[in-house]
Amino acid sequence: MKKLLMTLLALATVTLAFAAPVKLTLAQGKPEIDEALKAYASDWSKANNAEVTIKSVGGSSNISLGQQLKADYAAGDMPDIFAIDGPESYKEWKAIIADLSAAKWVKNTSVAFKMDGKVYGFPVAVEGWGMAYNADLLAKAGVDPKTLNSLGGYTAAFAKLDGMKDALGVNSVVSMAAGPDMGWVTGDHNFNSLLSNGLKYGDMSVANALLAGNVDAKRLTEYADWVALLFKYADPTVLTTGNYDSQVGAFANGKAVFLHQGNWTDPNMKSANATFKMAFAPHGSTKAVSDGIFVAAPSFYAVNSKSKNATLAKKFLEDLASTDRGAQYMVKEAGMIPAFSNVKLSPDGLLSKSVQTWAASGKIYSWNQYQFTGDFRSKTLAPIYNQFANGSIDEAKFIELLTDAFKSLKK
Amino acid sequence: MRSKRDHTFVFWLFLSPVIFAFLMVVVVPFVLGIYYSFTDWSSSPRDGAGVQFVGFLNYAKSFADPTFLYSFCITALYTIVNMAVVNVVAFALALFVTSRIPGRNFFRAGFFVPNLIGGLILGYIWQFIFNSAIPNLGALLGIKAWSDPANLLLAKSVPALFAIVIAGTWQYAGYIMMIYVAAIENVPIELHEAAQIDGAGPLRRLFAITLPMASQAFTITLFLTLVNSFKQFDVNISLTSGGPSTMFMGKAIYGTELLAMNIYNAAFVSNDLAMGQARAVIFFVVLAVIATIQVGANKKKEIEL
Repeated sequence: MKKLLMTLLALATVTLAFAAPVKLTLAQGKPEIDEALKAYASDWSKANNAEVTIKSVGGSSNISLGQQLKADYAAGDMPDIFAIDGPESYKEWKAIIADLSAAKWVKNTSVAFKMDGKVYGFPVAVEGWGMAYNADLLAKAGVDPKTLNSLGGYTAAFAKLDGMKDALGVNSVVSMAAGPDMGWVTGDHNFNSLLSNGLKYGDMSVANALLAGNVDAKRLTEYADWVALLFKYADPTVLTTGNYDSQVGAFANGKAVFLHQGNWTDPNMKSANATFKMAFAPHGSTKAVSDGIFVAAPSFYAVNSKSKNATLAKKFLEDLASTDRGAQYMVKEAGMIPAFSNVKLSPDGLLSKSVQTWAASGKIYSWNQYQFTGDFRSKTLAPIYNQFANGSIDEAKFIELLTDAFKSLKK
Repeated sequence: MRSKRDHTFVFWLFLSPVIFAFLMVVVVPFVLGIYYSFTDWSSSPRDGAGVQFVGFLNYAKSFADPTFLYSFCITALYTIVNMAVVNVVAFALALFVTSRIPGRNFFRAGFFVPNLIGGLILGYIWQFIFNSAIPNLGALLGIKAWSDPANLLLAKSVPALFAIVIAGTWQYAGYIMMIYVAAIENVPIELHEAAQIDGAGPLRRLFAITLPMASQAFTITLFLTLVNSFKQFDVNISLTSGGPSTMFMGKAIYGTELLAMNIYNAAFVSNDLAMGQARAVIFFVVLAVIATIQVGANKKKEIEL
């Protein structure tokens, strides 16, 4: 009797092990690709007898992927694949991030996440931002986008456009947001103008100097002029209280000439039926001319080395980069710019195309904001921008507060 | 004849599921939380992150942090204002729905409904009202004060705090109203009749009869509103996200970050879970002390029939 039971039990275990699909969990921070990724994961699951769960977290400042991962880790439920955004989050999870140097996709990309010569992160996509402009409105106003490349150029263009608001049918020149929900637009993206605009790709001298508490007053003053210019010509409602939808919506509906966002807004443009021509111009944060926009792979999939399904997780990434279905998902369904040279497709969104154009001619500047901790960006910098946007402080005070903030970074 | 020991056994047997649940979800996390507040625990495999005992360092750092001190002040202010507004509104509504107006049951249900809506959704609804509905209505009706971006309630930190009070009141007043309704309806009708014969008007009867007779309800409602205001989190995070910013002790910080949100941010935005835990312990002690004092003071005022 006992023997029979044991045999049955063993049999049940074996069948279960063969029949039950292997479970994989992928946690990522881009809610805009959630649907496409889920569709892809479901197809891949069927082909590989797996069950891939996609967890998408983010899109507002209320909960971020980093927070979710901490909760998952504490609960002993760490995902098999999770997204990291740069050196700071790499350090956080270093002990459980698998070395992916041996993966086949590595040779097809130049933007994988590397540390000490080893590859640790699979680049999700190439992304970029600059000043997105409505080319139709600029043509109507007689402003040449080529002049938009320095503080002087923008000052003249903004003033001219501001005088023609009624003729153009816009509420404001720039759609900019600095409200409590939008600290990432100011504290991450706009802040990066100070760190890398006009510098060679990968040049971290300014970021490193600030991290050491050394402030270049001239560069900071020109940057503050740029911020003041953006805030001055922004719609105050959107600037102080707007969220992502109201900021992007103003531009998509032709109510603003410029948008301070990146190519990830393409799906929003599509759903708002925006038919006008649009592209990116460089940021005007310096008096000197800049010739490029900020382009990088900002997010990477890392494989949890402690996961018992790490091998399958690596295969998931491999298939994503090398199969036609993977390419179809990345470029056509999620609308992302592929980070792999073997993927020949090109996204449909105009802003993504503009990023590709800039990148193809090598006119790109790095993303250095992730050299600073999330704590510093969202709890120290964002409130300072918000104060300035509210008009509670003037530009001199803005510069002073930023300077103090950088000095406090010195260890 | 069953022995006393059998009874004791059955007694504990029936109690054991509850005790088990209580131990697992209240006592153990509470003790663990206090333990972690004295360590540098961080819930991630970061280099050098073990669980090291650091003594009172997290507590000392908390009290040296301007954002925490500011959150304390602003939470105290919010609690006082919110307690006052919620209770006044709730009592007024209770008087309204216990009067003889037609359709009072409909109103009772209507005022209670916001309490059934989750705080997060409610916060987003009110964010829409404050940011879009009121300015657009102002533009439509030609009321300049409403449509002027300079008057946006959520754009400056002090008005934004009152915006949380408005949303919080809308959510909670109906619930408190139900407690008052029960208390008001329990006041013996003879007292009112006797007073009426003696020539007391409605206002006089309100202050001399209804209010003292409802004092037991006040103990409960004040306690509930106190604790609820002090712990405000969901409306806070969805309505204002802690912003807009303000200046405090020479630093730009979030202006409507109430204590619960400050704890959350310390733990998850600053990645310092032990620090957040220490703040949660401080939060617990302060709230327990204040609530005990409040209940004690209210108890003295209660009237037994």
